[in-house]
Amino acid sequence: MTEYHIKEIAQKIETLKLEATELKKMSGGIQAIDRNIDRILASIKMLEINISDLASIL
Amino acid sequence: MKGVEQYWNPILETLPREKLQQLQLKKFQNIFKWAYEHSRFYHKLYSEAGIEPGDIRTFDDILKVPKIEKAMMRDIQGKDPFPYGDILCVPLTAVTEYRQTSGTTGQPIYQADTWQDWEGGAEAYCYALYAQGYRDSDRLFVPFGYNIFIAFWTYHYAGEKLGCEVIPGGVLNTEARILKMQELRATAMGATPTYVLGMAETAIKMGIEPPKDLFIRKITVAGEPGGSVPATRKRMEDAWGAKVYDQAGSTEIGHWGWECRYQCGLHVNEAFYLAEIEDVDTGELITEPGRRGKMVITTFDRLAQPCIRFDSKDVIEWSAIEKCECGRTFRLIRGGVMGRADDITKVKGVLLAPAAIEEVVRAVPQLGDEYEVVVTKKGDIDDITLKVELLPKCKAEISAIRETLTRELRTKTNLRYNLEFHDYGTLPRYEVKAKRFKDLRKGD
Repeated sequence: MTEYHIKEIAQKIETLKLEATELKKMSGGIQAIDRNIDRILASIKMLEINISDLASIL
Repeated sequence: MKGVEQYWNPILETLPREKLQQLQLKKFQNIFKWAYEHSRFYHKLYSEAGIEPGDIRTFDDILKVPKIEKAMMRDIQGKDPFPYGDILCVPLTAVTEYRQTSGTTGQPIYQADTWQDWEGGAEAYCYALYAQGYRDSDRLFVPFGYNIFIAFWTYHYAGEKLGCEVIPGGVLNTEARILKMQELRATAMGATPTYVLGMAETAIKMGIEPPKDLFIRKITVAGEPGGSVPATRKRMEDAWGAKVYDQAGSTEIGHWGWECRYQCGLHVNEAFYLAEIEDVDTGELITEPGRRGKMVITTFDRLAQPCIRFDSKDVIEWSAIEKCECGRTFRLIRGGVMGRADDITKVKGVLLAPAAIEEVVRAVPQLGDEYEVVVTKKGDIDDITLKVELLPKCKAEISAIRETLTRELRTKTNLRYNLEFHDYGTLPRYEVKAKRFKDLRKGD
């Protein structure tokens, strides 16, 4: 049976989100950064739905 | 296929029921709070009902939350923020996608989505396609006019997410689509049951036998009940030599239910949706299997235009199967979406669900795929006519077919019909959703 390290994965997802958010803050309004970060954040949200949202109930 | 490789997300899809319900309650609380705080429409609705986020502590509390329905959305749209009205929870600048309902039951409903919402729709669909055996080695053909309706857009995006190669067959006509499928050896497609059967009919006319001359081995159908009507499914599978999987969803909700490879009903994707079934007449919550009611559904993670306790009017029932062989813990719906509560009508005092007629017609091999039901009123008495197409070379069997139809219709629907036999190919054909039930008593 495969063992999943949900809390550790959720932690990494949180780190990704923080990094992406930080990067957007540093963009100086460059649209090529901001808009791509928005897409990255949408994908990170999918990771949260799939993993992070479970961390508190498991 | 066994083990974790059969799941898109082995953790969520096999979560013990009590954990799943814990997750659903938490997600319901989150979306309720989000809508209460960001949408004037929801804030007013909930304030008038005297309910606020802190009041949702249990599943019983959820039942106190007012439902929404299409008519309410029609009332608010067209106003600010234009065109969605004050149901919108995000600034208009955050909206990246517009789709609308087909307007089958009235003025179309506008649907706003952010990119994240759109990702969420594709993500939910990935659960379905992966469960149906779609993999990155598949070449998907989408024989559908990409347009303002949501149908099959999400199939396309989910296919890409899975790593499949997706061929958009939008502007081609049916013949060109069939030739392109053959040329590129497409292995899977998504369409309405009506169009799956219509394409097979066209292919035969072109001298192409889909099971032998094409490479399609998986078909996902949506938009009509046919995928879960056994006789219709058999016709599709025989015509294409492919497995046919049913899938349910709508513009306002997303793709909430799907069949896995074991095909014992539609799994409700309970990680993304909360589906309730309620009695059509009394509104009483139905939790036991085998009792039909209409679905009230909540989408958990769609933020621009949330769908909270939406009265979908889809008629469904819980399955008695507690755990599917696939190992998923997502609850099963038996027999798919059987129709809309609006379509289930009384004829001669008897409740009639049009899908029951489809099951009878499609089980008679001497009849074509198309049929039409017309209900009229003669004086005070309802009159119901079933028009069917007789396949070429079956005319000699007409008496036996009439007898079979009369008997089966009587058994399955408790009604007697006027039967009209038409030449093969003469009843209307449809590309997307068919309109085979015509109730002329309502001026239809």
